[in-house]
Amino acid sequence: MNVIEMNRLTKHYGKSRGIADINLTVEEGEIFGFIGPNGAGKSTAIRTLLGLMRPTGGSATIFGQSCLEHPDIRRELGYLPSEVFYYDHMRVRELLNYSAGFYKKDCARRIRELADIMDLDLNKKIDDLSFGNKKKVGIVQGLLHEPKLIILDEPTSGLDPLMQQRFFDLLAEENRKGATVFFSSHILSEVQKMCSRVAFIKEGELIKLEKMSDLQADSYKRFTLEAASAIRAEDLQIEGVSKLENGQGANSVTFMFKGDINDMLRRISGIELRNISIEEPDLEEIFLHYYAKEDRAG
Amino acid sequence: MNMYGHELKSLRKSALIWTCSMIALASLFLAVYPGMASDAAGFKQLLSGYPEPVREMLGIDLDTVASLLGFYSMVFAFVTLCGAIQGMNLGVSILSKESRERTADFLLVKPVSRSSIVTAKLAAACTALVATDLVFFAAVSVVASAVAAGGYSGKTFLLINLTLLFIQLIFLALGLAVSVFFARLKNVLSISLGTVFGFYVLGALLASDAGDEAARYLSPFKYFDSFRIIRDAGYEWSYMLAGILIVAAGIAVSYGGYIRKDIHAG
Repeated sequence: MNVIEMNRLTKHYGKSRGIADINLTVEEGEIFGFIGPNGAGKSTAIRTLLGLMRPTGGSATIFGQSCLEHPDIRRELGYLPSEVFYYDHMRVRELLNYSAGFYKKDCARRIRELADIMDLDLNKKIDDLSFGNKKKVGIVQGLLHEPKLIILDEPTSGLDPLMQQRFFDLLAEENRKGATVFFSSHILSEVQKMCSRVAFIKEGELIKLEKMSDLQADSYKRFTLEAASAIRAEDLQIEGVSKLENGQGANSVTFMFKGDINDMLRRISGIELRNISIEEPDLEEIFLHYYAKEDRAG
Repeated sequence: MNMYGHELKSLRKSALIWTCSMIALASLFLAVYPGMASDAAGFKQLLSGYPEPVREMLGIDLDTVASLLGFYSMVFAFVTLCGAIQGMNLGVSILSKESRERTADFLLVKPVSRSSIVTAKLAAACTALVATDLVFFAAVSVVASAVAAGGYSGKTFLLINLTLLFIQLIFLALGLAVSVFFARLKNVLSISLGTVFGFYVLGALLASDAGDEAARYLSPFKYFDSFRIIRDAGYEWSYMLAGILIVAAGIAVSYGGYIRKDIHAG
């Protein structure tokens, strides 16, 4: 079953660009990453999906229903906004109880558990919390009713590395219990660790949707060569080479390569090498590479 | 119920402050009544020294002003002004609170429809106003019976005080309707004060040009004239109807606007 469906989803506001023609589906049990630089339209897509905004065109549904027409479907939804703001005069416990009150089930035990995991003091006033602690309130608030779909917008900003790790463990645990997770980020390493599929968004358009495993395996290798004498760029210019540039040191080069690895190795064998490394590029590099290419094409 | 309770709780403090101020205003003024009543003729003479348009503007009727109800009507004009500000302020702020305090991402992704959010907030606001008026009425009744030498009509006193609620509801509805047209409303107080004083001044100017019954529709402050209520022991139903229409239209606009509204991030 598709838990999230966006069908030609479009949202313009005024002059500024929103999103255009976004198509994507997220299946039950997936951890799905939504990647793009700041201002690409990630939040717009999420907010339209949640029913905070009305699409200009197309449709967005969760569990097969639009949040605008069937607000009740959000009973199974947990959402963590990118910036968390709550009623300042309330205590953490009051806020969480208020939140739990919307879901018609007893969440008291789960609130305690989550607060323990995230190391959150329930008796503090929201007003007195630091940004990171407010984020923790947001996390507990988003998960306390054990939702079947968890949507997170830039979830880790403001959390220290230890809390990030606990938070990701928590998400993985929820996912094991059957929850579908959808999260947006511009930090690729966190997506890389968790997601089974990713969608890339740029300037309001979805430019790529791939399985994480395909993305890493099929595509690029990063070569770093260090030679005894200067390397001539022409020696390496075969199809599939990109981003060929000088590395650290006079006689070293780095480049990305996509294609038959044997062709490349035959080329390299003609060079007197001091050192070589061939690595899987991390997502960040693929990502930058991808965007750079798009820029050139456009 | 959850939302209603939450909203009501957050209105508690301001309702209490408004109630106390209005009671203080009315009681202080009524406390002067016994002294005035002992020299009613002198008081009337003093007031008759004012030009008639000024008396009309201040809502003073020479025939009844020396009676408790007539005297009370003078201060009641200022009480309704307070009530109007309270109502307008409540209306402007209650629906725009989520975008002002940026809590929309909390409330508006809960499994509740936008219209039920409006309903809960509207109910909480009405409850706050009714509670204010009940406490106010109880308090001024005690003060009035303490200072009244000759007795007065309890029914008329109730009729006069009830118009406070009507004025509050009219401005509440106006405030709600205005607020849904702003993406993020920060200066609640200036909008409510501006609107209320605007209508108040308009009403005062209209009154100085007495006899123009149609112009009275322009300011809700002129819908319920205390001196006429004392004279007729009842309301003027055409103006009452105008008030009801404003409330209905304002509430309809707020539901429609709030349901259609896009909630933007940060």
